[in-house]
Amino acid sequence: MSVKVLLIDDDQDFRVSVRSLLEARGYEVLEAGSGHEGLRQVLEHKPDVILLDVMMETSVEGYGVTHALKYLDEYAEHSHVPIFMVSSVEESPDERFPMSAEVEMIRPDGYLTKPLDIPRFLQLLEKVVGGAGRVP
Amino acid sequence: MSEAAAPDMIVVIDDDYAMRLSCRKILSKMGLRVEAFENGASGLEGVAELKPSLVVVDLKMPGISGLEVISRVHGIDPQIIMVVITGYATIDTAVEAMKSGAYDFLPKPFSPDELRMIINRGLDRRRLAIESQRGEVERALLKRRFVTFVSHQLRTPLVAIHQYLDVLKHLDQTKDDPVRRQEWIERCLKRTEELQKLISDWLTLARVEGGTLVNERVEVDLKQIIPGILASYEAMAAAEQVSLEAVWPEEALCVSGDRNCLNVLFDNLITNAIKYNKPGGKATVTGCLSGGEVTIAVADTGVGIPEQYQPFLFDEFFRIKAEGIKRTEGTGLGLHISKKIVSEMGGSIEVESQAGIGSTFRVRLPAWRAPAENTKMGSCE
Repeated sequence: MSVKVLLIDDDQDFRVSVRSLLEARGYEVLEAGSGHEGLRQVLEHKPDVILLDVMMETSVEGYGVTHALKYLDEYAEHSHVPIFMVSSVEESPDERFPMSAEVEMIRPDGYLTKPLDIPRFLQLLEKVVGGAGRVP
Repeated sequence: MSEAAAPDMIVVIDDDYAMRLSCRKILSKMGLRVEAFENGASGLEGVAELKPSLVVVDLKMPGISGLEVISRVHGIDPQIIMVVITGYATIDTAVEAMKSGAYDFLPKPFSPDELRMIINRGLDRRRLAIESQRGEVERALLKRRFVTFVSHQLRTPLVAIHQYLDVLKHLDQTKDDPVRRQEWIERCLKRTEELQKLISDWLTLARVEGGTLVNERVEVDLKQIIPGILASYEAMAAAEQVSLEAVWPEEALCVSGDRNCLNVLFDNLITNAIKYNKPGGKATVTGCLSGGEVTIAVADTGVGIPEQYQPFLFDEFFRIKAEGIKRTEGTGLGLHISKKIVSEMGGSIEVESQAGIGSTFRVRLPAWRAPAENTKMGSCE
């Protein structure tokens, strides 16, 4: 079985290009255009890794998704799924929520900047899923 | 945050035992926390430790004077409100105390009501001061977020383009799919256009805000320029299956303004009326002159704007993203720019809209008034 990557990003063009890239490497790709849709897909399709945009409809929508996945009972089964946050603006949650003691609750497993550095991105993905994604 | 939860702390500094006792009694009954001290030295220690919201201090005490206490308390925290208690004989000193930063004074003897009133007023004042300071911090934060937001808006299309090109470069050339390649090139071009539009809108906005775009005031007949704009969008309207219509009065519709700005303004409103329409719909421009004002209404028969979004319509980068509302391309700056242009020209813009029926944008501009030496009234050449 191939590894499932869920892309949560409101920019369709971004999803289209990343999908092609990943499919060519043997990954199975799921897409969601909003945080809400992304959470629905998690329950339905059980992805192995999630690539999540920070700024969607609201500028913190992505953080809502990490919080839900890591702390809501509903998603307990998926709380271990690695989440990589992508953003074109370099800003960590510590910067955005400087006062918040709950900043840990929204921290993803890693940050990537847009546009993706393709070799680095693929390498990271392989490391996370243990190279299982490759289908010759 | 913690300030809102705990009751305010009041420190009373007075050498008169009876006064300390009665203040303590009255203030505790108000639900406040109270600590009383019998001289300036112990009072100042208490202030440093307790961080009160308000200090009541007697001016005439042995040891450190009341005036000295006021300035030292403000040295500890300038936001502490100081209320001075004084006998009639020392009114002059009380005035002095006010000058040195006390908020108010209470002449002895005073009634419990008088004390309550003055304390409440002082605490209100403190809350206001704290809120306005928070407001400033928030505004600074908003500004920083705004910069983040704008760079995000500009980068999004750029990222999409870059990503397409980079993926194309990395995909195995032997598996190249010409159809996909063509599609991606089209998308890159579309996103490039989006970026261009965003930059040009952004520049227009900066010019309107800087006042450099609207500085020209010439006589412009809207009945002359709007048909030209309509004509340039005929192809777009036909593609969207929207018919364009204009209803003009007999007379000319002259306003005083900048030709470029007026073009940008009506261009925005007319393209919106086409973009946010329905197939088979209509976009109608109606003009009229009355009471020294030219009114241009741009109406569409589109999806309309749900009421809850209407107050934000003219905000920078506001775009409606809701179920059932089609996603159209746009920068989210058009209406914001339009509003700025209209205000710069001394006019107004408003929207009337009903979900499912359509929207009408109504622009009112002061009619052109010929300079005194120009006798050609009402004609626009």
